[in-house]
Amino acid sequence: MYRYDEFDEQMVRERVAQFRGQVNRRLSGELLEDEFKPLRLQNGVYLQLHSYMLRTAIPYGQLSPRKLRQLARVARTFSKGYGHFTTRQNIQFHWVALKDVPAALDLLADVEMHSIQTSGNCIRNTSSDHFAGAARDGIRDPRPWCEIIRQWSTFHPEFAFLPRKFKIAVTAAETDRVAIRVHDIGLHMRLRGDVLGFEVHVGGGLGRTPVIASLVNEFVPEDCLLDYLEAIMRVYNLHGRRDNKFKARIKILVTELGPEEFTRQVEAEYAAQRPNEKIDLPRAEIDRIHAYFKLPDFAEKPETSAVFEAAKAADAGFARWAKNNLHPHIMPGYTSVTISLKPVGGTTGDMNADQMEKAADLSETYGFDDVRVTHTQNLVLPHVALDDLPTIYAELVAAGLATPNEGLITDMVVCPGLDFCTLANARSIPVGQAVQQVFADPDYQEDIGRLHVNISGCINACGHHHVGHIGILGVDKKGEEFYQISFGGRADEKAVIGTITGPGLRSEEVPGALKRVIDTYRSLRTSKDELFIDTLTRLGHDPFKEALYATD
Amino acid sequence: MSSVRPKLKPETPKSITAWETPTGRTVWMDADGNWTPDASRIAVFTGDDAETRLANAIRQEAAVTDPYFMEVTETGAVAGRETLRETIRVNGPTVAYGETV
Repeated sequence: MYRYDEFDEQMVRERVAQFRGQVNRRLSGELLEDEFKPLRLQNGVYLQLHSYMLRTAIPYGQLSPRKLRQLARVARTFSKGYGHFTTRQNIQFHWVALKDVPAALDLLADVEMHSIQTSGNCIRNTSSDHFAGAARDGIRDPRPWCEIIRQWSTFHPEFAFLPRKFKIAVTAAETDRVAIRVHDIGLHMRLRGDVLGFEVHVGGGLGRTPVIASLVNEFVPEDCLLDYLEAIMRVYNLHGRRDNKFKARIKILVTELGPEEFTRQVEAEYAAQRPNEKIDLPRAEIDRIHAYFKLPDFAEKPETSAVFEAAKAADAGFARWAKNNLHPHIMPGYTSVTISLKPVGGTTGDMNADQMEKAADLSETYGFDDVRVTHTQNLVLPHVALDDLPTIYAELVAAGLATPNEGLITDMVVCPGLDFCTLANARSIPVGQAVQQVFADPDYQEDIGRLHVNISGCINACGHHHVGHIGILGVDKKGEEFYQISFGGRADEKAVIGTITGPGLRSEEVPGALKRVIDTYRSLRTSKDELFIDTLTRLGHDPFKEALYATD
Repeated sequence: MSSVRPKLKPETPKSITAWETPTGRTVWMDADGNWTPDASRIAVFTGDDAETRLANAIRQEAAVTDPYFMEVTETGAVAGRETLRETIRVNGPTVAYGETV
């Protein structure tokens, strides 16, 4: 993975020193909250319902054992022994005292981590496919380009005060696992002959105005990418609305101008760049960054593993976990492992410090020092030998990390909701837990098949409810929590915004209502191979709406 | 910090709540005008007295952040439109987390 050079190191250390001074001035009363708030947000410090929260960047979800152990240390020292992985592949530490934040940032800087640009109207953490470099359907590894975008966008003076926050995602796989079409810019790596380039989607987003991104350019060659991104950012910076926070995202600009006119303006901006403005990233620099992402030296192995097959035959629990939580790897004899952070009745995305250290140990011993965070709030060991899976599984079981539900109905994306968040109108976590309980039986989950449930506690949509096959949005009605259900959303390469079904349900009604919907699906599907989303597409929403609002 | 805080009438009983600046923990004003993390010591204010106390609280920027009125009953129990949010602030998250799991 990428290692800081002396410039990165210096920048991060200087930023911590600067923020330490700002915190001291706030604590002394020299800075008032209105003055301090933008400074703390630029360093990832939020004030949540019960405490401050420190959001820490995990660039493109890439971790190492060393980093993960340090996150465990921060969790133990400054939080309450746990962290919360987010849908931007970052980690949030609740309960951190403001006076301790500089010390926490020192610990993070020790392992080349920081909280810069995890908030504010700037370019945020670039997210990427958690199976990058390991998946069979990836044409290249997108991480080097994510790193190049990170370096370009970090402290970019022209884009430090955008109209609103800005999120970029990159994939190189046919199956979109990082939801590029609901990002401000979504990049899909493509090959034309030997030339690598990017399909560019702009203006996607969720929140109160969900929009699927528009295809702006089918192929931007890699050596033109940063200049093209600058052209997009300049059009947005110039014309994005600053008069209304709710209309300030680039999706509104693209929608109001129309994709064709927006594209014309981007192309004009790009064409107008003078030669001395061009970034002209040297090939040597591109190669240098790519070298950090060289794949491990895999051993030559047969496609199958006798140890793995024997363990599956002997242990039904292992076989179930292996069926659900493994992903095909580019190398024979290897696989990618999803460590689910969605135990039934747990809090989605939460991981305690002991578990972080266990995952770090497993990565170090069996996983070539590579750990990824998924945008669906799980962890991944991308490179693991099939032979090692029985041992890894036993260790995960002991650590409470072997929930066999990747991609199944209990593998929900859930925001922190009103239990933690100042913006939320309703709780998310308890509703998710109640829904999980209804579908807790592993056989039932497997029978249902792949199905994404996403829950948000407010219209800001941190739980990405718009793109859940079933979306649940918590709303406040005169002080009471209600939950609006939507059907048919998806975040993949066929991205669709879900459709609201009708009136909201009380929290206690949600689990039973979803069970009726799911059982209706099971009765209507053509076979077990027809997924919920496909049955929904084939039949329309009416039978499922009817089930949702039926009474038991 | 809530995006929309209800405007309370002068006669509505209210407490004053904020976040302790150095730690971020939730605090309430007690009857002596001091800040306490103990919600059982919530003091109830009304009318001009409440407005004056909130104005004073806002001037205590180093000690507390973003003080605001919280609607309560005459006995200091959380009340009104924001009951759920404020009850969660008083009692903590309604779900297990961290070391309590």
